[in-house]
Amino acid sequence: MTVAAHAEVHGQPAGQTPVRGIDDAERLRASVYAFLANLLIRAPNASLLAEMAAWRGDETPFGQAVNRLAEACKTADPDALGEEYEALFIGVGRGELLPYGSYYLTGFLNEKPLARLRKSLRALGVERDPSVKEPEDHIAALMDVMAGLILGSFSAPASLEKQKSFYSEHIESWAPYFFKDLEKAKTGTLYRHVGSVGREFMEIETAAFAMA
Amino acid sequence: MSKPDKKTRTESGSGRRDFLKLAGLTTLAGGAAIVTAKGEAEAAGSGPSGAGYQETDHVRTYYKLARF
Repeated sequence: MTVAAHAEVHGQPAGQTPVRGIDDAERLRASVYAFLANLLIRAPNASLLAEMAAWRGDETPFGQAVNRLAEACKTADPDALGEEYEALFIGVGRGELLPYGSYYLTGFLNEKPLARLRKSLRALGVERDPSVKEPEDHIAALMDVMAGLILGSFSAPASLEKQKSFYSEHIESWAPYFFKDLEKAKTGTLYRHVGSVGREFMEIETAAFAMA
Repeated sequence: MSKPDKKTRTESGSGRRDFLKLAGLTTLAGGAAIVTAKGEAEAAGSGPSGAGYQETDHVRTYYKLARF
């Protein structure tokens, strides 16, 4: 099963009875992870921008970050965003940011954190599609794994314990720093707001796992 | 720390659930919006727009169930 399966699962209209016993709060978490994965693997197109522009947050810090992102989406130009994504993550030689766990944790790509991640993924029965060239510790891939674990895209929905273990071993130690960097990236405009949403979400996840 | 079985999720805490409810995640409760967006992003990925980042269809295919 590929990760495309996520989309079908979150395709449920809000309020519809969750399938396979995943409750609403968990489904929302998966949606946020999937949303971050989508924006971090490529720039949003015009229709995604239009959807995001309609999002309304509440008064929470996360809600406020969503509002700022939505506001920025109203005036964003898809072509310019494509260039922004390129400058941030790809660049000539390299982008402004290197969105890889190994880099954040060791200063180098493809180091031990990647090996540890691969081991965990094997244990979870998840493997990278052979057509994918990027290492598995790309931020989007990790967000995607979390969505898949929550929704059960790889096998049965993962227990909170398994989710927590994956999160604390492979995400918590660096993703918050990555999102902070994204929030203040020189080449970032709309993506700075993506950084804020991601940072707020990581704070929520860290706090919520502590209650698990 | 409790055993990692599925019951953990339902039993481990209304505290956690309440926290998540108050954390503002409901703002994306449209959920469907995200998903629709995902489908559209995929559709766009196969189009000629933009600079070369569109080959990154890999959110869709990054992982698959390992066959052992």
